[in-house]
Amino acid sequence: MAENTLQPTQEEFTSAQTESPWYARFETYFKGDPYIWLVIFGLATFSILGVYSATGTLSFKAFSEGREADNYLFKHLITIFTALGAVWVAHRLDYRYYARLSRLALLVAVPLLLFTWLFGVSVNEANRWITIPLIGRTFQPSDFAKLALISNVASMLSKRQGKVEDFENTILPILIWIGLICGLIGLANISNSILLFVTCFLLMFIGRIPTKQLAMLFAVGVIAIGMAMLLGQRFGTAQSRMTQFFGNEAVFQAEQANIAISTGGFMGKGPGNSDQRNFLPNPFSDFIYAIIVEEYGAVGGILLLCLYLTLLYRGVMVVAGSHQAFGGILSAGLTFSLVLQAFLNMGVAVGILPITGVPLPMVSMGGTSLLFTGLAFGIILSVSRGEIAQDATPQTAPISENNNQNVLNTNQGNELKNP
Amino acid sequence: MHENRRWVILGFFTSIALIFLVKLFFIQVLSAEYQNAAEDISVKKIVVYPHRGIIYDRNGKLLITNAPVYDLMVIPNKVNVKNIPEFCDFLGITPQEYKQNLERAIKQSKTQPSPFIKQLSKEEYAHIQDKISDYPGFFAVSRTLRGYPHQSLAHVLGYIGEISPEMLKEDKTAYYRQGDYVGISGIEASYEKELRGIRGVTHLWVDAKGKEKGKYKDGLLDTTSTAGQNLITTIDLDLQQYGEKLMQDKAGAVVAIEPSTGEILAMISAPTYDPNLLAAREFSKNYSPLANNENKPLFNRAIKALYPPGSTLKTVHALIGLQEGFITPETVFPCDKSLVKCHWHPVGNVHNSLQHSCNPYYFKVYRRIIYQNKMVLKDSVYTLSADGDGKKGFAIWQDYLSRFNLGRKTNIDLVHELNGNVPSFAFYNKRFGEGQWKFSNIYSLGIGQGEIGVLPLQLANVTATIANRGFYYTPHLVKSIGDKKLIRAEYNKKHSVGIDKQHFETIIGGMNDAYRMGTVAPTAIIDGLEICGKTGTAQNPRGEDHSVFIAFSPRENPKICIAVYVENAGFGGTIAAPIATLMIEKYLKGKVSKEWAEKIILDTKIIKVK
Repeated sequence: MAENTLQPTQEEFTSAQTESPWYARFETYFKGDPYIWLVIFGLATFSILGVYSATGTLSFKAFSEGREADNYLFKHLITIFTALGAVWVAHRLDYRYYARLSRLALLVAVPLLLFTWLFGVSVNEANRWITIPLIGRTFQPSDFAKLALISNVASMLSKRQGKVEDFENTILPILIWIGLICGLIGLANISNSILLFVTCFLLMFIGRIPTKQLAMLFAVGVIAIGMAMLLGQRFGTAQSRMTQFFGNEAVFQAEQANIAISTGGFMGKGPGNSDQRNFLPNPFSDFIYAIIVEEYGAVGGILLLCLYLTLLYRGVMVVAGSHQAFGGILSAGLTFSLVLQAFLNMGVAVGILPITGVPLPMVSMGGTSLLFTGLAFGIILSVSRGEIAQDATPQTAPISENNNQNVLNTNQGNELKNP
Repeated sequence: MHENRRWVILGFFTSIALIFLVKLFFIQVLSAEYQNAAEDISVKKIVVYPHRGIIYDRNGKLLITNAPVYDLMVIPNKVNVKNIPEFCDFLGITPQEYKQNLERAIKQSKTQPSPFIKQLSKEEYAHIQDKISDYPGFFAVSRTLRGYPHQSLAHVLGYIGEISPEMLKEDKTAYYRQGDYVGISGIEASYEKELRGIRGVTHLWVDAKGKEKGKYKDGLLDTTSTAGQNLITTIDLDLQQYGEKLMQDKAGAVVAIEPSTGEILAMISAPTYDPNLLAAREFSKNYSPLANNENKPLFNRAIKALYPPGSTLKTVHALIGLQEGFITPETVFPCDKSLVKCHWHPVGNVHNSLQHSCNPYYFKVYRRIIYQNKMVLKDSVYTLSADGDGKKGFAIWQDYLSRFNLGRKTNIDLVHELNGNVPSFAFYNKRFGEGQWKFSNIYSLGIGQGEIGVLPLQLANVTATIANRGFYYTPHLVKSIGDKKLIRAEYNKKHSVGIDKQHFETIIGGMNDAYRMGTVAPTAIIDGLEICGKTGTAQNPRGEDHSVFIAFSPRENPKICIAVYVENAGFGGTIAAPIATLMIEKYLKGKVSKEWAEKIILDTKIIKVK
C-alpha cells in the first residue's frame, strides 16, 4: 500500500493533484478511482475470510473420506490474485478500446451461448458451462456475453445520443441485441438473464431513452425471458422456486440462511465458527453472505453492503463527471450489473428474494466468474482513469439534456462511429 | 430531468440496501423464531438393516429364504396424533389396539423407538409409506422374515426372535438395540455374527416439524449396511427329509456324518416341527403349544438327550482291550450267563463277540480294563498279569472314552450342546463312600448301561472314528461361510484316539458280520451294500428299551456313518437298524430298494402324535 511519506513523481502528481496526498504513490501503480480500488481490496479480503470459513466442511469431508484434503483456501487465494491481476490489466487499457471489441465479442457470444445450451457441461441440471480447449478449464459463456452486451449497449447508446427518440435507428437495434442475448442466457440460467435485462434497462434509463420506449423494452424483456423459460431447461426450477417463495412453506435453504444470520448476532461467532455451513448448500458461493454475517456479525454484513454501495456511488458518479457518453454509460452499466448481482445474492440470503444461485461478485468462490468480475472492475477503473486524465484538459462538455449535439461532435464520439 | 435519473437509480439502490438492513435487523433482533429453529435442528439416525445371510444345503438347495417385512416403530414422547380414529383407520387397527400398542411401547422406552405394529407385509407398508411421515414419532424400518421352503431341519436351523433384555445386557459389543432380531437357536444362533451382516446408519437431518431435510453433512457420517454372509451347510436335504419321514411318530435322534470330513449329512431329532411355525410373525402364537407338548418337539435330542449307549459301547471296550493288551483278537470268553444275562448265541473271539453282542464277554473285558490284567506272552503261552489298582484302571478307561469325545462337548457348531456323562471314580466314591464299592457295582458300564450317558451326536462321532480307523474331525454343520468360502478352523483339525489301525480292522470285521449274520434283523439287510454296524438295546428307567444302531458304509473308504436312537422301540436290530440302513442306501444309491422294510418302519408308531 502507498505510504504518504513517499514523494510522487511529477507526472503522477499532476494527474493525481485532485486527490489526497497519500494516494500519490499508490496511483503510480493503481490508476483510476482509489475508492473503487478500496472496494475491490475490501471485497477480496471478505472473500478470503468467507471462503476460509465456508470450505471448512469441504476440507473436513475430504479428510474424513481418506482423500487428501484439497486446499480450497490456497486454490481460492490463487483465483483471487488472478482476478486482481485481471483488474489491474484491464484498468491499464484505454476504455475506448472496449467499445471496438464489444461488437466482435457480441458476435462471438451468440454461437458460444448456443453451443453451451446444446453441448455444455451440466451442473445441477443446467447447461451453463463449457470447457475451453487446451486449457481444460470450464467457464460460463453467460459471464462473457454479459460483459459484451453491456459494453455494446453502452457504445450504441453513446453513439446515438443525438437521436435517442428515433425508434428505428436507435432503439430497435439495441432492443434486438438485448432480446437475443437475454433470451439465449435465459435458456439455461433465468436469474442471470433477468439480472442482465434489468441492467440493460437501467442503462437505457440512464442513457436518456424516453419513458415510452423504456416501457417497450420492458415488454421485450418479459417476452424474451418468458420464451427462454418455456424453451429452456430451467422453467420447472424457476416455477417451483417461485411457488415456494410465495407459498407458505418456508424454504429450507432460506430458513437455514436465516438461522445463520440470526445466530450470528451483532459481532458474529468469529472466523471459522460457523455452524450453518454444514446445513447450507453452497456455503462458499450462493450463501456466503449468510456465513459472513454468521461469523462476522451484522457489523461484517453492513460493511460488505457499504462496499457495494460505495462501488455504486463511485461507478455511477463517473457518469456525472464524464465528458464522454460512452465511458459514463459503460461504467454505470458494469456497476449496475455488479451491484444488482450482489443485491440479488444478499437478498436471497436475508430472505427477501426467492432462492437463486448467483455468486456474490468478487467474494464467492469460483474461477472464471471471479475473472470476469475482475475484468468488469478493471473496465470501470479504466473509465475513471480516463476521466481523471482528461480533467486537466477538458475538451468536451458533459452529457446534458440541452446540448446533445456536443456529445455527438466530440473527437471520441467520432472515433467510435461505426465504420 | 435526465441528470435526475442518476439520483433516481442511486435512490432505488439505497432503498433496497435499507430494506436489507431492516430485514437483517428483523432477523437478528426481533425474531426469536430462528434462534429456536437453530436448536430444533436435529439429526435423525436411521438404521438400515442388512439382509440376513441365506442358508443352503450341501448341494446348493435353499434351506432358508428371506421375505422383506416392515416394523412400524414409535417413539412415544414424539407422538402427536390429533385425530386418533382417523389414524387407526389409516393403519387398519382399532383404537383399543392403538392404546395397547402405545402403552406397551411406553413401557419399553419413552424416548427410544420400539415396535408399534410388527411385520407389516410389503403391501401393507406400501399403503402407509407416504402418509406415515405426517405423524411425528412413527416410522417404519425394514426387517427380514425367515421362510423355510422345505418345512424340515427345524432343530438344525433354529429360529430368530426379538432380542431379550437379558441378551441385550450381555451383549458386550453393544451392537444390538432393543427390537433387533437375533438368532435364538440352531445355526441362526451359532452363526449369528456371520448371518446378521453389518447394520448401516443414515444420518438425516430434520427440521422443527420433523420433516426430513436431506442428508446430514452430505452423508459424511453415514455407514453402509453390509449384507450377512451366506452359509453352505453340510446337510444333505434329501437324506434329512427321508430321515425325518422315517422317524415320524417316533421319539429319538439320527445323526449321519461323512467320516472323512466330519460333515454332518443329516441330524434328526424326533418328533420335529415345521420351522415356519416359529418364523417371527407366528412365533408367539405357536411357541407355547410346542413348548408344552409332552413329546418335547422343541428339544434337540441329537445334542441334548443323554441316552445309555448300550451294546454299541462294546466296540470301544474291545478297542481299549486290544490296544492295552488286555485281550488279543483271539481271546475267547464263554457266554457265562451267571455274570450277566445274555441271549443264546455261538461263542467265540472278539469278532464273534461283536457279531453276536455277547454281554458276559464284555463283562470280562471291562473287568480286565479296570484291573489292568495284561496278557503276557511267556514260553508261547499267554498268562495274565495280576490285578492292578482299580482306580488307575478306571482312569485309563475314562481317558479312552474322552479320546472318543464321550463325556465332553464335541464343539459342534450349535448352541446348548450337552457334555454327556462318563462317571468318574470320585462319583462312585461319593455315591457309595470311599472303599465301599467294587467292580460289581459298576460292571454294567462294560455293556454301556448304568450311569453312562451319551448324546446321539457323540455316538455318531464314535462311529466315524471307527470308520476312519482311529481318527475323527469334529462334527460340524457349516462347510462354507460367505463368498470367501471359509470354514471355522477347528473343523479342519484331525483328532486321533491313539489306537492302532489293526485293532479297528478286528472290530470292523465283527461289525460287518453283525450286520450280515448277527444281531441285525433281516429287515435291515440291504443287498449290494457293504455295511458294518453294531446294535444296541439300551435299558432305561422310562419303559421299553431304546433301540440303538450305529453303522457305516462302505467298509473301505466309508462315505457315511450313522447313529440311530429310537426311544422305547425295543431291540436295536429291528427298528434302529433298518432306519440306518434305509438311510445309508438312500444316501449312497439315491433310492430305496427295500420298500417293504420302509413300510414297516413308517407303520411303527411309538408315540402318540398331538
